[in-house]
Amino acid sequence: MSESNSHAAHITGPKTYVAVLLGLLVFTIITVQASYIDFGSMNTVVALIIATIKASLVALFFMHLRHDKFNAVIFVGGLLFLSIFLIWTLFDLSTRETILPSNLKEPVLEFPGAPLNKPVRPSTGQPAGTPAP
Amino acid sequence: MSTATHTTSADHGHSPFLQHHFRDMDQQFNTAKIGMWLFLVTEILMFGGLFIGYGIMHANHPQAFLAAHHHLDRTLGAINTIVLLFSSFTMVMAIWAAQTSRKSLVILFLVITLLCAATFMGIKYSEYSHKFHEGLLPGKYYTHEGDTVPGQFLFFSFYFMMTGLHGIHVLLGMIVISWLIFRAVRGDFGPDYYGPLDITGLYWHLVDLIWIYLFPLMYLIS
Repeated sequence: MSESNSHAAHITGPKTYVAVLLGLLVFTIITVQASYIDFGSMNTVVALIIATIKASLVALFFMHLRHDKFNAVIFVGGLLFLSIFLIWTLFDLSTRETILPSNLKEPVLEFPGAPLNKPVRPSTGQPAGTPAP
Repeated sequence: MSTATHTTSADHGHSPFLQHHFRDMDQQFNTAKIGMWLFLVTEILMFGGLFIGYGIMHANHPQAFLAAHHHLDRTLGAINTIVLLFSSFTMVMAIWAAQTSRKSLVILFLVITLLCAATFMGIKYSEYSHKFHEGLLPGKYYTHEGDTVPGQFLFFSFYFMMTGLHGIHVLLGMIVISWLIFRAVRGDFGPDYYGPLDITGLYWHLVDLIWIYLFPLMYLIS
């Protein structure tokens, strides 16, 4: 609690904010450029890593979490619950053989687009049974 | 009640903005901040559900999502990203100006933030009207013709739900920032009292943070 009490002592100057803004703009350019490069199954992962770097810059500097450990715990706690939600969903998604509408009488084999008989990872043709990259 | 407040906080007790149930301005500021962060966590979980739904549908129908995202304009998406990042910067600069007693700069930075938000919504409006015109709509309302890949309505269901919910947050932020401009012009904010600026800033940065994830997931599928 004592960390967040001394808000008056932490006045970050405009120089830091300008630097953070420039960093965010650079990473925006990087993420647009990276979308033209094919990383195979890592395409979405690369995009999310760059987005997370940008989000960290915003949270640490603009949202002052660098000097605010108490609220950082609240924030990270929220992210923890989100990751529980995400990880358990991914387990289900990657171990399920087929996802078809429940009212479908027999599986459709040739059906470009949706729904796929064999779930594949985004943007590659790899089957989803393998562990997440 | 007010006498009790005055006796317990000699240095801060005279601020007209100190609510009687707080010991001093610091306590009031930190309480408001914790409340805002708890609210932001609920926001993260609300958007998180949509992001995970998007992830499931994207994983099951990659071709449909890849084909559908070509209907979006990357340039407009990138411009909107830059506009929103810049508005986050001006928002935090408004807080800095209040912390250092620069009243006119507080107003200036808040007005720039509001204009950036309006620009964002303007671009979003032109994107939306283009999609309405093409029949690129969610679920059963999808009427776009000439598709080679079926199932693209799935992408637009998530597109409109996620960017729409995000857009509502931008609109709400604009209302609150307008109120902050009114209060800044009245001269409320200074080094001793900038709580409303700070917690609105937190909200505004979260809106920015969500867009940081929406932009690559919607516009930059490869």
